[in-house]
Amino acid sequence: MTQLVVTGLHKAFGDHPVLTGVDLEVPAGELTAILGPSGSGKTTLLRVLAGFERADAGTVTIGDVVVDGPGVHVAPERRQIGYVPQEGSLFPHLTVAANIGFGLPARQRRGPVIAELLEAVGLAGLGKRYPHQLSGGQQQRVALARALAIRPKIVLLDEPFASLDAHLRASVRADVQRLLAEAGITGILVTHDQDEALSTADRVAVLRHGRIAQCAAPQDLYDRPADADIARFIGDANLIDGVIDTDTVDTILGKLPVEPACLPALSSDKATVLIRPEQVELAGPGPREGRELAGHVVAYGYHGHDAVIHVRPDLDAAAPTIIVRTLGGQQLPPGSPVVLRARGPVLAWPPD
Amino acid sequence: MALTAAGLAVAAVLALPLVFLLIEAHGAGAATVGNLIFRRLTADLLWNTVRLTVVVTAACAVIGTATAWCVERTNLPGRRVWAVLVVVPLAIPDFVVSFGWASLWTWVHGFEGAVVVMTLAVYPLVYLPVAASLRAADPGQEEVARSLGVGRARTFLRITLGQARGAILGGCLLVALVLLAEYGAFEILGYQTFTTEIFTEFSVSFSVPAACALSLVLILLSLLVLGGEGMLRGKGRISRSGPLAARQMPPHRLGRATLPALAGFVALTVLALGVPVGSSIYWMVARSSHAILGVSLMSSALHTGLYAAAAGALDTVAALPIALLAIRHAGRLRYLLERSTYLVLAVPGVVTAFALSYFSERYGGGFLYQTAPLLVVCYAIMFFPLALVGVKASLARAPVSLDEIARSLGQRRLAVLWRVTLRLAGPGLVAAFCLVFLSVVTELTATLLLIPTGVQTLATQFWAYEQNLSYGQAAPFALVMIAVAAIPSYVLGRFFDRTAHS
Repeated sequence: MTQLVVTGLHKAFGDHPVLTGVDLEVPAGELTAILGPSGSGKTTLLRVLAGFERADAGTVTIGDVVVDGPGVHVAPERRQIGYVPQEGSLFPHLTVAANIGFGLPARQRRGPVIAELLEAVGLAGLGKRYPHQLSGGQQQRVALARALAIRPKIVLLDEPFASLDAHLRASVRADVQRLLAEAGITGILVTHDQDEALSTADRVAVLRHGRIAQCAAPQDLYDRPADADIARFIGDANLIDGVIDTDTVDTILGKLPVEPACLPALSSDKATVLIRPEQVELAGPGPREGRELAGHVVAYGYHGHDAVIHVRPDLDAAAPTIIVRTLGGQQLPPGSPVVLRARGPVLAWPPD
Repeated sequence: MALTAAGLAVAAVLALPLVFLLIEAHGAGAATVGNLIFRRLTADLLWNTVRLTVVVTAACAVIGTATAWCVERTNLPGRRVWAVLVVVPLAIPDFVVSFGWASLWTWVHGFEGAVVVMTLAVYPLVYLPVAASLRAADPGQEEVARSLGVGRARTFLRITLGQARGAILGGCLLVALVLLAEYGAFEILGYQTFTTEIFTEFSVSFSVPAACALSLVLILLSLLVLGGEGMLRGKGRISRSGPLAARQMPPHRLGRATLPALAGFVALTVLALGVPVGSSIYWMVARSSHAILGVSLMSSALHTGLYAAAAGALDTVAALPIALLAIRHAGRLRYLLERSTYLVLAVPGVVTAFALSYFSERYGGGFLYQTAPLLVVCYAIMFFPLALVGVKASLARAPVSLDEIARSLGQRRLAVLWRVTLRLAGPGLVAAFCLVFLSVVTELTATLLLIPTGVQTLATQFWAYEQNLSYGQAAPFALVMIAVAAIPSYVLGRFFDRTAHS
């Protein structure tokens, strides 16, 4: 079942267009991430969905109710959409318990619901505190509990983890996932952090230039980005030139098989080829297969669980460096000679 | 839309005195107005007004900045007590300070007397903003300057004063505007300025064209002061460069300068606080006659309170649309609207009162002349900028994002207003009300011109006794005004401090 449908959404501030035709379908009970660089219109989209901003054109349907459309604009308080903003935005004059109970009818505000929610977000016993007495992570949890209290159909999360440090981020993120899944609530998470989007969400929608450029499950998005631009945005990418030869492509890393799905779109024989860093390996001293590339290390970044090596090909000093990801292994100071070998199949698109 | 309309309506009412004045000047004809302006009297008044303004403003800048630096950034003994004592003189009406000095010593007179009295009465207007900005500014910048090889003295000049520059200028602006608008203190000291002359022309000689012509010059002077401050202020920002939490820096050690600094603070307190209060107490004890005084005190205090409360409420309500527009909706028209209300600052109270009273008499058929509503409207116009400052500060505490959250939680607009916006902005709205209330309590000039016949406020009753040289009768009114103003001012100071910090 589809919980939220957005079609042809436009929004401009003055003569500055922000959303230029957003189409998006969000399945019920899933967590969908909206991923985009800053300034791509993520927050505006969220504010339109919440009803804080009015769209210039397009429709928004929640369940089977049109909340935004020609001549229709349902007020925020009648949408049953929970909203968790970046800074938490707790009411500073109310206790934690009163914050969580804010949206409930007066007689429920003192009931067991509050205690249950506090328990659920791991803040049992802190109901009498005021927001300024809480840490950042605790404030975010209260903001989430406050949104969940009204039993919303959808919860919107606007970069809710951005202001938390790395350690806290992981634990709050896990709690959010768990709580939404338990309650069966549809979640929409806005973020500019691709790691966060890929690791947290069931589906990721890439917002670019005011439109959804691609919407897919995290692994599909990473493995089959719709174009070179998205490939570069989602994860590290080597984008190199190649020449198509029926179902293979000739590159400086040798002849590599092309993903069959890409072939119909390739009109000419020139192509931009995506090779992920983990598709490249350091060739050992064994026999050569004729598709190796010799080069020298220009940078070596050690990350504990793996290492990222930037290699400049010896053939052509002007060529872009190739990024290689290896699992641990030996230390390679800059200047070390290496030999690279790539594994296919690879994705290819017509050059820009 | 409704908000913009309300804002425009408020701005229109605020512009009334200026519009009246221009209509009257136009009616009198350019030649008449020209003759009234270009004469010897104007030159004398100009010389008197300008030299006093320059000297007192400079003195206040030095005293206000020095005391603020000592209190905020040094290890001066008893800093907390001094921080209160140096501000209290602000609660004493200027004409009471003037009375306190002139009633004791006859040499306090003319230019020198005016310099002494006004400096002591208004230097806190510089102290307050400078102290606040020194407290808010990043003391780490001084450490950085020192680490870059800049000496102590030059660090003070380039960094510390630089941080406080906007605040010093802002304080000087207020001082200059107060001096341009002051009537009572100068009347007691026998010092003639534009304001005293306008008052005399209008209420004694009934020469409307002359009062009108002089008012135009006075407004021009005020505009020059406002414009000059804006130009000097420049575009620099003094805020912290990062969001890092404030860190306390160890205060500067005064060392051998401790005793002279303490002596300075003691002297300042004695002169600015001790003399006016002591003098009032002396006259009350030595010369008071207790008959009918109690009744008269009660009655005038009641009227003062009524007028002040009415003006405070009116201003707080009127400031809401302008402040909402300024804070919650960006846009050039709205910005202009907000700025234009500050033009009120350039119109001294005597001019506002004169314009309103003359026009209500002439074109309103005398319907409102010398009635309570006209007086209240006059107060409301005069003190609107104060209310606006308070209301803006209070709305800044209730950000729109909280309104939106409340609505997404299913609350209707009115419920949000009641449960969120007013709860957060409430204390600030009360503060705005109090600011206006206090200003009205100590207002004399406009009150004298517009007070309903047969009614007295604390200020006018004090004035009547003072002008009769009945110092014993005048003194209790002075003390009541000080008491009424001093305690709430302290509370208000605390409120704005906390606002600036959060």
